[in-house]
Amino acid sequence: MTSVPVPVARPGRRRRDRGMLPLLLGPSVLLIAVFVVAPAGYGIYLSLTNTQLTGFAARDPQFVGLDNFRYLLGSDDFLASLGHTGQFVLFSAIIGQTVLGMLAALLLRRTWLRGKGLFGAAILLPMVVPEVVAALTWASVLSSREDGTFNRLIGLFGGASAAPLQEWPMLSIIIVNIWRGIAFAMIMFQAALEDVPDELIEASRVDGAGAIQVFRYVTLPLIRGPVFLYLLLTTITTVGVFGLVYFLTQGGPGSATQLTSIYIFQHAFQYSQIGLGSAASVILLVLLMTLGLTYVRLAKVDV
Amino acid sequence: MTTLQRAMQTVLLTMLALFCLVPFAWVALSAVDANAGPTVGAPTFSLQNFTEFFTNADTPRLLVNSLIISVSATALNLACGILGAYALSRFRFRGRKFFMFSILLIRVIPAPATIVALYLLMVRINLDNSYLGLILVEAAAALPVTLWLLKGTIDAIPFELEEAAWMDGSTRFGAIRKIILPLVGPGLGAAAMLTFMAVWGDFLTPLVLLQSPDLYPLSIGLFRAFSAFNQVDWGVLAASAVIYMVPPAILYGVLRRHLLRSSLGGAIKG
Repeated sequence: MTSVPVPVARPGRRRRDRGMLPLLLGPSVLLIAVFVVAPAGYGIYLSLTNTQLTGFAARDPQFVGLDNFRYLLGSDDFLASLGHTGQFVLFSAIIGQTVLGMLAALLLRRTWLRGKGLFGAAILLPMVVPEVVAALTWASVLSSREDGTFNRLIGLFGGASAAPLQEWPMLSIIIVNIWRGIAFAMIMFQAALEDVPDELIEASRVDGAGAIQVFRYVTLPLIRGPVFLYLLLTTITTVGVFGLVYFLTQGGPGSATQLTSIYIFQHAFQYSQIGLGSAASVILLVLLMTLGLTYVRLAKVDV
Repeated sequence: MTTLQRAMQTVLLTMLALFCLVPFAWVALSAVDANAGPTVGAPTFSLQNFTEFFTNADTPRLLVNSLIISVSATALNLACGILGAYALSRFRFRGRKFFMFSILLIRVIPAPATIVALYLLMVRINLDNSYLGLILVEAAAALPVTLWLLKGTIDAIPFELEEAAWMDGSTRFGAIRKIILPLVGPGLGAAAMLTFMAVWGDFLTPLVLLQSPDLYPLSIGLFRAFSAFNQVDWGVLAASAVIYMVPPAILYGVLRRHLLRSSLGGAIKG
């Protein structure tokens, strides 16, 4: 944390312009209340109705209680979407991004390494380009044509051409998301590693520990906190991934890559089942709020 | 460490960097290829794709739309953000802590979890399918990060400077203008960059809120062009992707120093 402590409170002088508070904070509160908080509340209401975009229920939505939730929790389609989301988070964020991000952060600390800036920039690039461009680049790499980058690569090793997005859709989007998120993991771990004293690592080296042992018994225990917070945060963001996957597969083929975020979009806007889509949103919201609360409690921020 | 180990580690890092870079080959090569296709090929060098982007009847509009939306949303976001952050930094009031933690919590809720209700709400208040609606939504979505970031920046500006200005007869707003604004630069630059990039790259919100092709930003325009599978002009698509990356790149170039100096750590790291 780099924030500087607030000057000691002097209530007498502070209170001087109390009247200005609504003027200063008002616009922010209003914007957040209307466009962020109100939709969340409205979503909870909608999830209890059979609202549709078109048709009979569009004109006269009925209150249906927990019917939508009952339907969703008994729907194989929705449960599968939760399963896909779980797989996607586990393999792309918790395993893939974490391992590669940590590797990058550790390697970039090597004092003898030349060209750190270039390596860092290369790893950063996937994170900073817009989602749509990222998806477009991978659409070309994973193209089913023989001259697609992926097919050329496996051609070099004598493999037969494939259509990755059709044949291994889940694996494909997992790899694409790993690619996009390595940099975020790397940045977080670099910040955490700065707090690990070099002397400690030197000392354990002198005692004869290998690189893996040093990491396992010295480095990792010292950065456990930041790593855990990173895992929470990356889980939350990965559950919210939409554009990258929607652009590449639109949830298909079939519903093989239908993450919950895509399930919500398709049911609400393509099949016009607003009530059902809202209920799915509320389930997602509750799951994420739980994780988010844990994150906010554990992240030691000063206010 | 042995030379072998160093070599292995360098190879590992190089492979990682290549994995990150190689996917961009298509965009980079096809944008300057007169005969671009959907996959990587040696380009017949030409700037024709870029010319076509700017002379086409529809595509420059996408760029202008993206700029209107992102610049307005960023301006609104910063204007509200700096006032709000000042209040959060300098006033001690009941519920301040609760507010700070609440917006931190809001920040971690991704768009897909509220997008359905947001759309219907916008239809109700007649703000769907309009620039104004999208700008308000985008400005609000990025506000929690802006408030946290700017609050940290203002905390670091000594309160005594403002008090001194009051002594000299400045009003509170006068002191904000004379003391805070000039010193808040690095934080403002960082907040501007983060907000602009988030709005510029957003895909889901404009996809849901906008229906008229006239209003589409570049993200949706590129998606539509790509989905029209049979009639895709791959060269122009790649050139559009390159053009799409230019404004954030320029902004990054200008504001990079500020970004490092601000208390970004507090906003991201927690």
